[in-house]
Amino acid sequence: MPGLPMNDPPPERLAAVLARAAGDVVAVTRVAALSGGAASATYAVDAVRNGTPWSLILQCAAAGDVADGALPKADQAALQRLAGRHGIPVAEVVAVLHPDDGMGQGFIMARVAGEALAPKWLKGDGFAAARAALTGQCAQVLARLHAIPIAEVAGLALPAGRTGEARMRMFAHYRSFGVNSPVFDLAFAWLAERCGDAEPDAIVHGDFRSGNFIIDEYGLAAVLDWELAHLGEGAEDLGWLCANAWRFGIWQKPVGGFGERDALYDTYAAAGGARVDRARAHMWEVWGTLRWGLACLQLGHDHVSGRVRSVERAAIGRRVSEVELDLLHLIRFGDI
Amino acid sequence: MSEQIEAAALVEAVAAFLQSIEGELSGRNAFHAKVAGNALGIVARELAQAPRVAEQAALSAYLGHDAGLDALRAELCGRLRAGQLTPETPGLLLALSEAVMAKVAVDNPRYATLARVRDA
Repeated sequence: MPGLPMNDPPPERLAAVLARAAGDVVAVTRVAALSGGAASATYAVDAVRNGTPWSLILQCAAAGDVADGALPKADQAALQRLAGRHGIPVAEVVAVLHPDDGMGQGFIMARVAGEALAPKWLKGDGFAAARAALTGQCAQVLARLHAIPIAEVAGLALPAGRTGEARMRMFAHYRSFGVNSPVFDLAFAWLAERCGDAEPDAIVHGDFRSGNFIIDEYGLAAVLDWELAHLGEGAEDLGWLCANAWRFGIWQKPVGGFGERDALYDTYAAAGGARVDRARAHMWEVWGTLRWGLACLQLGHDHVSGRVRSVERAAIGRRVSEVELDLLHLIRFGDI
Repeated sequence: MSEQIEAAALVEAVAAFLQSIEGELSGRNAFHAKVAGNALGIVARELAQAPRVAEQAALSAYLGHDAGLDALRAELCGRLRAGQLTPETPGLLLALSEAVMAKVAVDNPRYATLARVRDA
């Protein structure tokens, strides 16, 4: 499978890591690849601890180490633990891989019961109550996350930068593909007039969207994938959650395909978050939509460049036009 | 017809073949076969609709001169980067919408935003 390390992690090495962490006798009975992203590989790990089944998830850097400037896996695990201490639903981190373990960077966490496939919980009858609760739960989680003093993550290598720098980095990323998209350039010009150049003042999850939740019958059971966390402006997470790409076709519900913006913003403010300025939130929706467009370009480039040859990535490259149309709709009508 | 088997007929034949083996595939291969079938749908629509011609017409009408599509795109991008064109420039958003609608009609004709922009 593309994107995964050459060899799957050996069960006996994982068992040793788990035994060290648990101070107990642990056997690993199964290691199954779940998904291979560009940056991370995720495995389901079935273990037995003192005769009791133990369902776990291993996430490790696809290339052994994370890319330069990216959040190291040990720091991602530490951030996930910190979020949990602040009352945010996350998978409990069980063990962090050590360089001597010979499996690169990674960590092992509890496997949270529930549905991870967004189209299933967005459309399934059994999740109606969960969907009804979810907008408020997302708002509360984000308000809590953004209220954490950034001094608490001073020891973690979270990427940080002013808003203007982040926009210029995104523009350089776009230009690196050698593709000319008038709509993307229009969106960059639109953002340049509006995004400002604020100092980062909050921990931003960075990938808070419908595809990164575990949903059970009561709603949000866990927030996954903290690998894109960084220091920035909290409203970035609100905008990303509302990008059309994460509504999975349920475009009438702007919050992730399940909720309304007013409910999200009101609950966020009631839970201690900043009162959301509509123009600012709209700016972050344009930003997030453009960011997804660059991800489509990146995936298409993976195929064209030969880095990861894949019919799936080639096809996603053709989703650039959807993003262009969403950007035009957002900029023309102030909404999507 | 100058060819017995034109490109569109080949695409259709390959798509039909992929569909015929769908039941024998599972997991990742089944998923990739579905993606491949959708990709062939894009190719078939691109052959039938020639979206580059429509995009070129929209962009050259806006810029007021003829050129190849790649040159027109590059000119627009360059002028946007230089600040000579802005999101407020009259007619620009409409011209880009025309151009992009032709592309989305090929890449994903059922995309909801396409109908929304058409009806706007």
